[in-house]
Amino acid sequence: MNRPLEVVIVGGGTAGWMTGAALSGVLKRTQCTVRLIESDAIGTVGVGEATLPQMREFNDMVGIVESEMMRRTNATFKLGIEFRDWGFIGSSYIHPFGAHGRAMGGVAFHHLWTRANRAGHASNIEDYSYAIVASRRNRFDFPVDDVEAINSTYNYAYHFDAGLYAQYLRAFSEARGLVRTEGQVKSVALDPVTGNIASLRLESGETVGGDLFIDCSGFRGLLIDQALNGPFEDWTRWLPCDRALAVPTERAGDLTPYTRSTALEAGWQWRIPLQHRTGNGYVYSSAFISDDEAAARLMGNLDAPALAEPKPIRFRSGRRTASWTKNCIAVGLASGFLEPLESTSIYLTQVAVMTLLRNFPGARIDPALAESFNHAVDNEYDRVRDFLILHYHANTRTDSDLWRHCREMDVPDSLKEKMALFRHRGHVPQYRHGLFSPPSWLSVFLGQGVLPQAYHPMADNLPLDDVRAEMDALRDTISRRVDTMPTHAQFVRDYCEGEEPSRAGGA
Amino acid sequence: MSRSVREVAIVGRDADAWLAALALKRAFARTDMRIRVVELTSRLTAADVYVATPSLGGLHALLGLNSGKVLAATGGAPALGQQFADWNPGQPAFTHGYDTQRVAIEDIDFLQFWVKARSEGLRVSWDDFSLAAAAARQGRSALAPDGIEETIPVAAGFHLDARAYVDLIRRHALHLGVEVVRGAVETIRRDGERIVELKFGDGASITADLYIDASGPEAILSDPDASFTSWRGWFGANRTLTASAPALPALPGHSRIVAFEGGWAGLFPLARRTAIVAAYDSASAGDDAVLARLPQITGAPQVADATFGTIEPGVRTAWVGNRVALGGAAAVLERLDATDLHALHIGLTHLIALFPVDAEDMPEAEAFNAGIADHVNYVRDFQLTHYALNGRGEPFWRQARGVDLPPSLAARLRLFGARGLPLLTENETFQEQNWSAVLLGHGLTPAGHDPLVDRVPVDEQMGKFRGLLARIAEEVRALPPADAFRGAPR
Repeated sequence: MNRPLEVVIVGGGTAGWMTGAALSGVLKRTQCTVRLIESDAIGTVGVGEATLPQMREFNDMVGIVESEMMRRTNATFKLGIEFRDWGFIGSSYIHPFGAHGRAMGGVAFHHLWTRANRAGHASNIEDYSYAIVASRRNRFDFPVDDVEAINSTYNYAYHFDAGLYAQYLRAFSEARGLVRTEGQVKSVALDPVTGNIASLRLESGETVGGDLFIDCSGFRGLLIDQALNGPFEDWTRWLPCDRALAVPTERAGDLTPYTRSTALEAGWQWRIPLQHRTGNGYVYSSAFISDDEAAARLMGNLDAPALAEPKPIRFRSGRRTASWTKNCIAVGLASGFLEPLESTSIYLTQVAVMTLLRNFPGARIDPALAESFNHAVDNEYDRVRDFLILHYHANTRTDSDLWRHCREMDVPDSLKEKMALFRHRGHVPQYRHGLFSPPSWLSVFLGQGVLPQAYHPMADNLPLDDVRAEMDALRDTISRRVDTMPTHAQFVRDYCEGEEPSRAGGA
Repeated sequence: MSRSVREVAIVGRDADAWLAALALKRAFARTDMRIRVVELTSRLTAADVYVATPSLGGLHALLGLNSGKVLAATGGAPALGQQFADWNPGQPAFTHGYDTQRVAIEDIDFLQFWVKARSEGLRVSWDDFSLAAAAARQGRSALAPDGIEETIPVAAGFHLDARAYVDLIRRHALHLGVEVVRGAVETIRRDGERIVELKFGDGASITADLYIDASGPEAILSDPDASFTSWRGWFGANRTLTASAPALPALPGHSRIVAFEGGWAGLFPLARRTAIVAAYDSASAGDDAVLARLPQITGAPQVADATFGTIEPGVRTAWVGNRVALGGAAAVLERLDATDLHALHIGLTHLIALFPVDAEDMPEAEAFNAGIADHVNYVRDFQLTHYALNGRGEPFWRQARGVDLPPSLAARLRLFGARGLPLLTENETFQEQNWSAVLLGHGLTPAGHDPLVDRVPVDEQMGKFRGLLARIAEEVRALPPADAFRGAPR
């Protein structure tokens, strides 16, 4: 029997503890021992955080009970993201976790919708999406399994306090044998022959050896960058935002089952509703606004009293070209950064952790495992990148330089082609691996004014009156069913009310 | 100003032309789309066969055809897989079965458990755990002549008598209103990349909004200067032989592909005869020598109706201007792995998904060509795997083993060899279970396994193995015999 692999995780935070929970929760102690080094002196980035539905797969795999996790992290439900003033000032659309309408006669719904529109029967495509209608009315309930039922056509994710989530995972991991060491890494020793990381020297003087080192040290990239000089591919030319200010406020107004993103003059503002407070922030480009102006703008935009001073965060969009280098694997912000516009941060961490499990090495690391890991992670980053750029690029705003710059910038060919084909004929990209699915692309294209000039010719097989009758029936079914759902606030209170005094009772 | 596509002219012959005509007619059944076929002389001989993977069943469904009934009506036979013999001397023959699902234990691919057990001494081979392979070896079918399909996770592939099949498809297309134009295309009038008019020898001509080249490898509508990317460097066989042998005493449930010194020969049982196809390198084996050796290689004593041909695998850009090449005009594939109709099928589904909305401007071409290129390149990789992993000693086979592989295939072999990891691909025909069957069958066994396997207790693992084998045996017994197609009415 081989000895267990010694895994050392550097850095707590969401990435560190998700990795720790997965390795200690899923692998046996005869396979690996896990040690996590973190320092209470180093802050983590997590504030209020929004997630994607895939998060549930991670929690299930690790063995986390949803209602308990939600209670501990003051979590709420999320059916999508509302985008305000993106594309043009005054616009509002929701990117839902769910479909728009149903295909008829082998033709995707949006082609039929486009046909009806062009024949003079205009309608709002949001009325045919269950997730959007429920969001607009602040309702929530779990989707059902029966695929025939209209309330099976959506999915959900969470808003939670990422700091509390990390704490929750810490307790979970330590109960499963993970050893936590309080301390900071002072230096990294490399094996002179292999170039692998041999050991870490801590501030305390202790030397920590290991077989596999997971870099969860955040933007600093203590191991992958500072020790191994892993190259970084910069995407600032497409995603110009490089700073953020985050500030919590008191809970106010209805508890929305969606995240809100409002485009501002030099970036965008997030609003993430938790049970006990609301997370807010301004993601901006320092090339287009000063820090002071950004702070004033954010504080002036809040819908409730601030609970703290705004906290500054700096970043650079891009990714490590090889997240797995030698015996070091960067997970989370150490492996790359994409702004949280589509809540992909935890998702990308999750992908890295799950991919690591599948490619978990033995004592001798087969390079094919690193190749497989890096290929999977790269694909995810590339996919998300194009989708984010679309939000910036497809705009007709004339009020500020940032939006002019983004509209005129040269975007990746892979995105150009997608936009051109959607404009030409409403064709929506679809792929097997990676985000995002066709409803996501559709909602952003239409929401930001990229409109199809034609629809699939097969849509003409159906009589227009039949199409319209089916569309009307669908809209009515959705509306009636949504009205029977509990409010989001009520649902959260009944299902997972947190330990902190809840102010979820607004609605 | 945009103008919609209303006129489609298909220039071609045989399955490429008629499946395309029928598919487009069906897709636009209730619109005013006009579909015309400029029919070229058939190239099919009495011995010809189309060998297709189960995916053809999906196309049949789109065409409103029942696969079981099509087979019964055309003297074809179902096949649940392909058996490969003599590719790796010293190793037993293996069967690539057409399973539609991968077996998993607690969400972990069963392959990982097998790799571990194998390293600990398990003797049961991979294809014994394939329901499709087991059923194929016992002469079973997932399909019956009355059109009933079994609801198990295997799908039937096809051995089709080529002439009878085309005749059925053609009649069906004509019945639905596809028009036939007779005449040999003499001149193709172009405006830049676009075709403006086709002129016939008798002075007649036709025009259309969209031109489909279904003329096979000649690709007569393609710009003669347009480059054809040859795969000759990877596929050394340049000759093909097609022949017939008498029907087998009982229909086996699979094809049989046998390697010999200069190439391979395939045995494809049909209801009333057995089709034979061989591909070989003329430098290693002459036509007459191969023909003379066939009875010995294939075990079929009387071989008749033999014809010979040349083959040069490769691809050309399928959609240029207002001309779309489908089937053999777009890609010439080796005839391994039941892909005779595959380039056509992929082209058709892509064309229907991206059917041009504007007769004057067709930017769909780029996405179409990219999708087709992915599919055919991965099929090429799949076929090339047989050559790359062969274990024979003759010069032809040693050379086939030594060629520089396409990077996509080289990466796939590395990942699989390390841990049975799949290569993440988009737009791929063969699925992970197909790849596993072929890679393991040729002897590429992963060096390690997924550590998650060890979450499942060892005695539970052994229990699952036994349970799986027992279930396969039981499910195979419940399947109808492939031989039912032999007595099917014509």
